[in-house]
Amino acid sequence: MARSGVRRPNIRAFRLANGLRVLLAADDESPTASVWVWYRVGSKNEHPGITGASHWVEHMLFEGSPRYPKGTIDRAVLRVGGELNAFTDTDFTAYFTTVPRDHLSVPLDFEADRMTRAAITDEEVARERTVIHSEREGNENWPEFRVEEELFQLAFRVHPYRWDALGRRRDIEQMTAEQLRQYYRRFYGPKNAVLVVAGGFDLKATETEVRRRFSPLPAWGENVSVREEEPAPSGERRASLRGPGTTPYIQIGWRSPSLSDPATPAVLVLDTILGGESRIFSAGMGWRGRREHPTARLYRALVEKGIAVRATSGWSPRVYPSLFTVQAQAASGVSLDRLERSIESVVGRLTRTGPTRREMSDVHARIRRGAALAYEGATGTGFRIGYFATLDSVTLEDDLYHRLLRVTPRAVQQAARDLFRPEARVVVRYEPTGEAHDE
Amino acid sequence: MSSRGDPLRIEYGRELNGLAVVRQASPAGAASFSATYVGPAGWGFDPTGEAGTARVVNQLLASGAGPFDRVALARRLDRAGATLTTECAPESGEVTIWGPAEDWEALLSLLATVVLRPRFEAADLERVLRQLAERQMREISQPASRAERELYRAIYPEGHPYRSAGLGDRRSITRIDTGRLRRYHRTHYTSGDALLVVTGAARLAAVEGAARRVFSEFVEHQGPTLRLPPVRRPSARTVSVRLDGRSEVDIRIGGDSLARSDPKYPAAFLANEVLGGRAQLSRLFQRIRERGGLVYHASSSLEAMRFGGHWTVGAGTAPKNAAKVVALLTRELERMERQEVAGRELREVRESSIGEIPLALESTADAHELAVEVAYHRLPGDYLLRWPTLLRSVRPAEVREAAGSAMNPGRAVTSLAGPSPRR
Repeated sequence: MARSGVRRPNIRAFRLANGLRVLLAADDESPTASVWVWYRVGSKNEHPGITGASHWVEHMLFEGSPRYPKGTIDRAVLRVGGELNAFTDTDFTAYFTTVPRDHLSVPLDFEADRMTRAAITDEEVARERTVIHSEREGNENWPEFRVEEELFQLAFRVHPYRWDALGRRRDIEQMTAEQLRQYYRRFYGPKNAVLVVAGGFDLKATETEVRRRFSPLPAWGENVSVREEEPAPSGERRASLRGPGTTPYIQIGWRSPSLSDPATPAVLVLDTILGGESRIFSAGMGWRGRREHPTARLYRALVEKGIAVRATSGWSPRVYPSLFTVQAQAASGVSLDRLERSIESVVGRLTRTGPTRREMSDVHARIRRGAALAYEGATGTGFRIGYFATLDSVTLEDDLYHRLLRVTPRAVQQAARDLFRPEARVVVRYEPTGEAHDE
Repeated sequence: MSSRGDPLRIEYGRELNGLAVVRQASPAGAASFSATYVGPAGWGFDPTGEAGTARVVNQLLASGAGPFDRVALARRLDRAGATLTTECAPESGEVTIWGPAEDWEALLSLLATVVLRPRFEAADLERVLRQLAERQMREISQPASRAERELYRAIYPEGHPYRSAGLGDRRSITRIDTGRLRRYHRTHYTSGDALLVVTGAARLAAVEGAARRVFSEFVEHQGPTLRLPPVRRPSARTVSVRLDGRSEVDIRIGGDSLARSDPKYPAAFLANEVLGGRAQLSRLFQRIRERGGLVYHASSSLEAMRFGGHWTVGAGTAPKNAAKVVALLTRELERMERQEVAGRELREVRESSIGEIPLALESTADAHELAVEVAYHRLPGDYLLRWPTLLRSVRPAEVREAAGSAMNPGRAVTSLAGPSPRR
């Protein structure tokens, strides 16, 4: 029988005088220790001219700080067998390092060094510009990336969720090193960060070490709220793209609530019913992606019936209202019109009749099993604790878990009615220029 | 180390009618269990003219088995808190179940049902064939997969299992029907030369007992044999495919290489790590991304399988930089063969590889992957424990020699797919 409840390890939480929030989750048995630093800065803090700045600064934090010249952070971690990386999202930027437990001091040392003193030099910015171009161009090779970028640009006219975290091409070409330094100085620092250490370590000794390394840092780092408020949508928006590809592809988006909205649990359930896996509590997969789930409505109506080869929904609750999306790739010979009508029919039926008892029971089973085994391994533990703490608080996870299990079919139907309004719909269709076949 | 045993020590049990049972202790503190069935069911065994069969059979295993249709199976897994994944490779087909450790016997029983008693319903077959047809198109339309495809087609002769991704073509998959699937399944999933690898808290005897019960339908007979046409050592050449409308060119350079059981494997492994396998420590990352600023990714991989393997270096770049990146990749390859790796560089890469072992023990799923690899290649049960010693015994001259034979730039094929630089 699957166990129930979120099985999170105990957390020692405290805040330093300079504002740094620290969360320590020790597990005596773990052979590794994982250090995560989350900054509440992301593409939400950018504006035209500096779109992509958060992502670029993320790259620059590997390019040198006073005690760790260029290349030495990577080397310090890899030579002890560790791994490290970072990622930038709309609402946050996260850096993580996992090392064998005896080497925990390595990431703690360089994270403190680069929190306020990263060297963002003109020379390194110039070199990294082409690397970032290459990252963006690699993404542009995928129709799915192009469609999603267009979808958010259409949906948002003033809010910074309008652009992708990679930034616009023009801004990548023109942004200066000084702009990046200003951006870093404004948003980076203990006041705007959450430090999570998870895995095998001595709690007392690590708390002492964290205090010693991070307390001397200046109380820098602004957590800036987005002032631009996106007007309510007043009509459908659509665009068509053409380019290389396999079969027609579509994404449809609807304006969705923010993380703090009371409707969020119902929308998460709605996403699970349409797409198949619970976004936040999913067994064995974290946030890595979605598998096909044969009970999902989109799958049953589109994939099983031969209309699409892939179909799912997607929704990550964000700090500000964002987009709930549905995406589908047509089966060979199926037109975009038919694909779109089929999606509309699925969401229309859910809006009219709500979920079945069976569907609700399936969703609850998935949430329970996902929560029961969510915490295994220091890296995954550090991620989960940091994610919830950065967006809200660690207890948000428990709160969401209990609220998700209390969502009623009627609440899901109401959420569908509020969400799937025709005037809030944004559609981007991708027509491949000639089907790809082997010569 | 776990009180249940050391996850780095793999225990081989008795063979049950041709099914070898292998057990690994789960990492300390892990609450989950994993089990994988590995059968001689890769696309190298596709019947002539029916390429794609192995992939279809493998994928359909997760689409209903025994008393469970596809939906009932999904619900059963949900309620057990388990996930089921399938994977098809040139030589083998795998099915893995993962879930709560306390329910391991029930999960093992479900795995056996999935492996031994698939339903192969007509509607599921149609769906999988539609998806496969789209994947075929994607393989030739996406620069990364297209560059890889052309590389392997240039290295391996017709009929070689490593030549393709096992997707078949438009014609071959029209020949696949449920009768053919059942025949393939009977030969490749229910008998001979198969493995059951279990990672959990249960002891070997208990695992053997459970395996005997749930895999009782397994029939002992000689497993199928993989046909391997000889690989003619090609001379260096370039294959280029123009794909307009994309932003970036994908580049692959590679050749055929050694099998996992080759005594030179540890030296070749280190050569690959130095070149491009050890992420940010590697030469390709340092020289092409960090110094040159020419690419976002540049790496190499050495895929050593049971009967052979290949090594590949890869990068993606703007069309105008493609020639420059190819030249840099080639130069680094040649340097591996020409010059001995400095002792300090080799030491750093080697100790990094050894040091990462604890990271593979973070979770049951991570540790299980190691056990499946050891068991599939029939390596000794203490192989993972001896791995550091094996690596530390490799000398710089052996790395250079391995680079010359396992990653020979003199006979490398260069494959490019993407927009033309002239545009």
